[in-house]
Amino acid sequence: MLPAKAKEKLAQLLGPRGYLDRPEDLILYEYDGSVDKARPDIVVFPRTTEDVVAIVRIAREFGVPIVGRGAGTGLSGGSIARAGGITVAFSRMNRILEIDLENERAVVQPGVVNLDVTLAVDGSGYFYAPDPSSQRACTIGGNVSENAGGPHTLAYGVTTNHVLGLEVVLPDGTVYTTGGKELDLPGYDLTGLLTGSEGTMVLVTKVTVRLMRKPELVKTILAIYDSDDDAGRTVAEITARAITPVAVEMLDGVMLKMVEQATHAGYPLDAAAVLLIELEGIREVVEEQVEQIREAAQSCGAREVRLAKSAEERELLWKGRKNAFGAIGRVSPTYYVQDGVVPRTKIVPTLRFIGEVSKKYGLIISNIFHAGDGNMHPIILFDTRKAGDLEKTIAAGEEILQYCIDAGGSITGEHGVGMEKNEMMGHLFSAETLDMMRRFKELFDPDNRMNPGKVLPTGKGCLEIRQPALGPGAATY
Amino acid sequence: MEKSSQVTLQPSPVLPRNPQELADALAAAATRNRTIALAGASSKHLMAGPVEPADVSLSTAAMTRVLQYEPRDLTISVEAGMRYADLDRLVAQNRQMIPLDPPFSETATVGGILASNTSGPRRRLYGTARDLVIGMKFATLEGKLVQSGGTVVKNVAGLDMGKIMIGSFGTLAAIAVVNFKLIPRPAAEASFLLPFDGLDQAIAARNRILKGQTPPIAIDLLNPLSSAQLGYKGHLLALRLAGNTVAIERCRRELAARDALVLEGKEEARFWKQVQEYTPHFLEKFSQGAVVRASCTLAQLKEVMSSFETAAIARAGSGICYAYFTRADAAVRWLTSATGRDWKAIIEFAPDDQRDRLDLWPAPGAELEMMKKIKQMFDPNGLLNRGRLFRHI
Ligand SMILES: Cc1cc2nc3c(=O)[nH]c(=O)nc-3n(C[C@H](O)[C@H](O)[C@H](O)COP(=O)(O)OP(=O)(O)OC[C@H]3O[C@@H](n4cnc5c(N)ncnc54)[C@H](O)[C@@H]3O)c2cc1C
Repeated sequence: MLPAKAKEKLAQLLGPRGYLDRPEDLILYEYDGSVDKARPDIVVFPRTTEDVVAIVRIAREFGVPIVGRGAGTGLSGGSIARAGGITVAFSRMNRILEIDLENERAVVQPGVVNLDVTLAVDGSGYFYAPDPSSQRACTIGGNVSENAGGPHTLAYGVTTNHVLGLEVVLPDGTVYTTGGKELDLPGYDLTGLLTGSEGTMVLVTKVTVRLMRKPELVKTILAIYDSDDDAGRTVAEITARAITPVAVEMLDGVMLKMVEQATHAGYPLDAAAVLLIELEGIREVVEEQVEQIREAAQSCGAREVRLAKSAEERELLWKGRKNAFGAIGRVSPTYYVQDGVVPRTKIVPTLRFIGEVSKKYGLIISNIFHAGDGNMHPIILFDTRKAGDLEKTIAAGEEILQYCIDAGGSITGEHGVGMEKNEMMGHLFSAETLDMMRRFKELFDPDNRMNPGKVLPTGKGCLEIRQPALGPGAATY
Repeated sequence: MEKSSQVTLQPSPVLPRNPQELADALAAAATRNRTIALAGASSKHLMAGPVEPADVSLSTAAMTRVLQYEPRDLTISVEAGMRYADLDRLVAQNRQMIPLDPPFSETATVGGILASNTSGPRRRLYGTARDLVIGMKFATLEGKLVQSGGTVVKNVAGLDMGKIMIGSFGTLAAIAVVNFKLIPRPAAEASFLLPFDGLDQAIAARNRILKGQTPPIAIDLLNPLSSAQLGYKGHLLALRLAGNTVAIERCRRELAARDALVLEGKEEARFWKQVQEYTPHFLEKFSQGAVVRASCTLAQLKEVMSSFETAAIARAGSGICYAYFTRADAAVRWLTSATGRDWKAIIEFAPDDQRDRLDLWPAPGAELEMMKKIKQMFDPNGLLNRGRLFRHI
C-alpha cells in the first residue's frame, strides 16, 4: 500500500490529471504483453525529467518501488509492478526533441513510439534501424530497456548499436547524462551497460539515437518449402555462401494459415514453411544477391522462390509477418511466445526438437522467428480452460529453452528476461556471473526499489502464460 | 622502438596460460593487497595514463587459444591474449573478417584492443568492438570468471557487462575470453583517393558522399601534412567501397572524379595499412610526440580539422579526429583551447617521461562519479592498473 502522504505529494506534484489511482484505472496497468499480472498502487505521468526526479525522490522518501512503463508491449512481464508501488508511465514524455540529419542523430524522449522516429524523418532519406514487430506501438524507452531487436537487426544490429547517449535518473534522484552525439567518448560505456537493463537500475528520460541512410534498393523474396527442414537448411546455406540479407524470417505451416486468414498477404496455405528474405543496398549488389538467394533456396529444395514485384506486395508480406501475434489471437485464446536463440547451423535440429516437444505434450507449437540470427519464437497454443494445459505449456517451454541453452544459445534474444525467465537465469549463467549482475544493480539501486523481482532469480516461481496483448484481432502491427 | 621507462619499471610479467590461471593470479595478488599492472602485448603502453609502478605484472600474452570456431555460424571465441593479426588471418581463410582495423595490428592482442577500444577506418560501416563483440568472460580481482553475453549473435539475457570492459583499460577486471561475430568478406573492393586544395571542398564532397546511394565502408580525411607523409598532396578524402565488381565499377564512375586515384588489391591494402598504422609510425619517429583524439559531430569536423596546425587524420564519417603533435606541450595547448570550445578531446598518446604530469582528459563529465563507483565495486583498494584510465581512474 502506498502511504497516503506519498500519494498526496505525488498528486500535488503532478496535478489531478497527472496520475491514476482508482482500481478501475489501475486494472489497465496491471499487465503487459503477458498475463502475468500485478497492480501498481498508483500510475504517474511525468512530462519532464524534473517531474521524474521529483517522483523518484518521493518514492525514495517513502521506500516505495518504481516501475517504468512504455507502451506495455513487453513480452517478459518487464513493466508489471510485481511488488506494487509507483508505475512511471512515459506516455506524456513523447516528444522528439531534435532531429539532426546533418549529424545523423535524433534526440527523443522515452515515450516516443519507435516507428514515429522513422516517420519523423520520412522523405529525408534517413531511418531509425531497430524495427521490433511491435514498432507501431512500443516506445524507445521500452526498446532501450529491453535492448529490442526486430527482423532487420540481422544486418543493422539491435537497439544498443543505435543508442549513443542517455539521460537517466537514478533511484536516489541523481540525473546523469551518458554518451552523446559523439562516438568513442573516454571512460566506461555507461550507455552500453544501461541499455538492456530492463528498468532495474535507472529510469531513462532522454535518448540519443543514430539515424541511418535508407538503402538505394530493397528486394523482398518469399521462398516456399514443403518441409521446414529445407527452410532451416537454407538459412545455413545463405551464410555458407556469404550472402548478406538484411532480414531472414521463417514462418511454419501452422503460422502461415493463421497469418493468411488474418491478413490476406499472399502467403501459401499449403506450404510447410516459408522464408521471408529481404535484401538491401547498392542496386547492383542487391540484384546479384537476389539470384544468389534463389540458387541457395532451390539447392535446399525450395518449391518456389517468389520475388515481390511491387512495394505494395512487399508491404503486405511484412504486414502479415508483423501482424502475426494478432493473427494467433484469432485462433487460440492463449499462447506462450518464447525467445530462445541457437547458433544458426542448429536451426534444423531445434525445429525438430520443438516438433517432438509438441507431440510429447499434445500441444500445437507454431514457429515464426528471426531465422537469420537463430532467434527462435516457438509459440505454444493452449487453452486455460483445459485442465493441465497450462502446466504442460510451462513444462514444454522450459524444455525448449533448456535445449537452446544446451545448443550453445540463450534463453532470450530480444524480449528480455523480466519476471518470465528470471528463474531460468541460473541454467544459463554461473552463480559468479549472476552475483556480478546483482552487484551492478545494487550499485545503482541499493534499496532494490527499481523494478524489483525482475531479471535475477528470486527463487520463487511465477505464472508463465501469454495471451494476445491487445485482444483478438485488435493488433494492427 | 625505444622502450618506455614505465614498462621497464614494472616487474617481469606473470603469464597465465588460461582464464582460470588469470583469475587465480589476480586473486593471489589482490588478497595480499599487491598492486597489479595488467596488459596484453603492451603494444599500447604509451596510450592513455601510465600505470603506476606495481608490485605484480600480469600479461595475457600466453592465452592464445581459439576456443570455438564454427565458420558457418559466423562466430568465434578466442582467448584474450590472441594476437589480432593471427585471428584476422585465421578467419580470412574462410573469407570472413573482424573489421576493427586497430593500430599496432601485428602485435596487439584481442583483449588489449577491446580494453583500449581502438578501431580504424572501416568503423563507418562495421562499427567498433562494442558492435562486433557478442560475448566475453572476464576475471575479477576476487578470482571469479564472469560471463557476459554468449556465442550467439542475438542475446539479451542479463546485463550487458561486457560493454563496460570495452574502453576500460584494464582498470576493472581482466578480459579473458572474447566472442566475436564475423562478417563475410565482400566479393570486390576498391578505394578512391580524392585530392582537394581546400578543406571546404573536401568536406563538401564528404557531405555529398554521405548522402549518396553508394555508401563507403570507410571515409577518411587526411590533412595536407598527413597526406604528404603518405606521399600525396592536399586534403585527401580516402573512400573504401565494397560490393561486387559491377557495383565497384559504378562507384568508380560516380565517386572517382578525373583527378582521383583508384587503388585496388595490394596497393589498396598498403594504403589503408599506412592509415591504420599512422599512430605507431608517428610515435616511433617522434619520441617526444603526442597524439590527440577528438570526438565531434559530423558538422563540427571541419572546424576541428581546421584547428590543427599539425598532421591530422579524421574518420570523416564518424567524427573522430587524430592529431599528431611533435611536442606534448603543443598538444596540451590545443587541448586547453578545445576544452574551452566544448570539444570532447583527450591526449591519447604522450611521451612516457611526461605522461604522469599531463592532464590527459581535462573535461570528464559528471558521470565520472558513477564510473568511480564502478571502479570501487570491482577494485575497492585501487590495485588494478592504477592511473591507466587517463589518470582519472
Ligand atoms: C506483437 C508484438 C511483437 C513484438 N515484436 C518484437 C520484436 O520483433 N523484437 C523485440 O525486441 N520485441 C518485440 N516485442 C516485445 C516488445 O514490444 C519490446 O520489448 C518493446 O521494446 C517494449 O516496449 P514498450 O514501450 O512496450 O515497453 P514496456 O513493455 O512498457 O516496458 C518494457 C521494459 O522497459 C522498462 N521501461 C519502459 N520505459 C522505461 C523508461 N523510460 N525507463 C526505464 N525503464 C523503462 C519497463 O520497466 C520494462 O521493464 C513484441 C511485442 C508484441 C506485443
